[in-house]
Amino acid sequence: MKPAIIHDKNRVSLKPERKTDFRLWIFFGLATVTLCAVFISNLSLGATSIPIHDVTGALFGPDTDNYNQIIVHYQRLPRTLIAIYVGAVMASGGVILQTLTRNPLASTSTLGTNAGASLFVVGGAFLFDFGVEAQGLAALAGAFFGFFCCLSVARMAGRSNDPRGLSLILSGVLVSMLFVAITNAFLLSNPMKRSEFLGWVTGNINHAYIDRLSDFWWIGLLSLLTLFLTARPLTLLLLGTEKAQSAGVNVKGITRIALAATLLGSGSAVAICGPVGFIGLIVPHMVRPFVGNNVLSLLAASVLVGAVVCLIADMGARLFFQPYILHTGLFMDLIGGVVFAFIVKRVYLARAAL
Amino acid sequence: MLKVRNISVRYDKTFVLQELDTEFKTGRLTALIGPNGCGKSTLLKAMMDFLPLETGEVLLNDHNIRKLSRKQMAREMAYLPQECQCPDYMTVGELVELAGYARYAFGSGPSKRDRELFADALATVGLADQASQQVNKLSGGQRQRAWIAMVLAQNTNLVLLDEPVNHLDMKYQYAVLDLVKKLCRERGKTVIVVLHDLNLAAAFADEVLMMNAGRIIAKGSTDTTITDHNVRSTFGLDADIFNHNGRLVCLPCEIAGETVLS
Repeated sequence: MKPAIIHDKNRVSLKPERKTDFRLWIFFGLATVTLCAVFISNLSLGATSIPIHDVTGALFGPDTDNYNQIIVHYQRLPRTLIAIYVGAVMASGGVILQTLTRNPLASTSTLGTNAGASLFVVGGAFLFDFGVEAQGLAALAGAFFGFFCCLSVARMAGRSNDPRGLSLILSGVLVSMLFVAITNAFLLSNPMKRSEFLGWVTGNINHAYIDRLSDFWWIGLLSLLTLFLTARPLTLLLLGTEKAQSAGVNVKGITRIALAATLLGSGSAVAICGPVGFIGLIVPHMVRPFVGNNVLSLLAASVLVGAVVCLIADMGARLFFQPYILHTGLFMDLIGGVVFAFIVKRVYLARAAL
Repeated sequence: MLKVRNISVRYDKTFVLQELDTEFKTGRLTALIGPNGCGKSTLLKAMMDFLPLETGEVLLNDHNIRKLSRKQMAREMAYLPQECQCPDYMTVGELVELAGYARYAFGSGPSKRDRELFADALATVGLADQASQQVNKLSGGQRQRAWIAMVLAQNTNLVLLDEPVNHLDMKYQYAVLDLVKKLCRERGKTVIVVLHDLNLAAAFADEVLMMNAGRIIAKGSTDTTITDHNVRSTFGLDADIFNHNGRLVCLPCEIAGETVLS
């Protein structure tokens, strides 16, 4: 009998892949358009609605006599830029951590990174009177510290020294709880400084932090660049360590580079406006059905959608409870908590792996 | 040419491979045969430099693989693990494209020739029309062929396959191994494949390497190596081996000596 496998070169066609490409382009087109739309409406909507021509005016050479343009230029634009930075960096961090750990619940907020960074910033500011720059460094160090605490707790708890699966997430949550508790203890210890950081620790996107953005933006950019350059070997890692190695990936090296880039990026985001949670967790899940699991397109899509989600959360935080303004981090936690439960039910309890 | 010189591998206290010494001839299909836990997979992993060796070395074209980078190795040898997990949403086309990684310059993607290789690999396994399908939505047989397409797309002279026909029905076991044999014949690839079924090994392999407890029991051409004596010392099982129209057939009779399952 003839074997079922046919070798017929005439049947080779690349058409199906073109179709996938086309879908990708549509997604990225729509995401970019949405980002622009949300960007403009974030500048225009608020306690006072500002007409579009004032918004564009403020973007291209602000008129200092126009009150509306001053609001846009000095208040809403900084806030919007911070939201974009945080959204993009946190979402890409989620993609990388979910890829490296092959765990759908991994993100900077569930692996102790955000909590570690906030602990170091608050600790540094309260104990040693750190300024903005030193706080930034503290956040970077804290991000690493938090992640490695989470890893070592998982190693202690797990049977093997390859802590994938639920034990890693549980350790991350455990470590985060501990760090948040210590951070709160610091906050309680000094009522004078408390007010300065009380908003920050819940993730507060605020125009006041624009100085921090202008100090730290290059860290996130560098981190994103590194991640984009290592996207292909990172995709191979999804196939498992051995398969990746056999295809030529230096697994240890790539893991270290990607991890360092992610931790530095998310550390810098925390340094700017505190730990805005859940973006890194939910955005990768939002884009995966559309762009697939290829880390390159996943990263690009997550950067765009992460920025969009963060901008919408910021808008919601400012608009929904008028005249009060909610902290974006709190608002994100409100949405994120629900989506988190949804992911656990849908992805995690249904299948163990990605 | 892949040579294994005196290698021993240890998991905790037990030696899984004991001073193993062999070489694999270019352009031949070698089947690794042996009971569960005899070290077949470990041998493949040792040859891929996944495991620390207690003693010995693995030589790829007379170079110690320890001294080669992962990329250098990946241009020479491809490996298919026993259990492969593909992430959700990844398509067959994407999977195959990943195989070219070792050939790409830093930060760049596949060249035109790479794309031809990918298309050829898909056509070879009969999945040319399924390139945009998600791997996890394929049937078991198609999925296994997608993984084999990825191995082919790596375009290496050496191919190591760890139980590639597990979980496949008879037809696809036959089809996959027939394809592997063709690669040997037509493209001069050296293939080392772990098999459980002696009859499949007899039908497709040029050489057989029989192992038990981390040692080589017998090695040589298929016709002369698959004998009732060797099967007995490898598996501890009495078997009738007879020749049916030029093909060896192995029929187990009874477990030799004391029973294994008691």
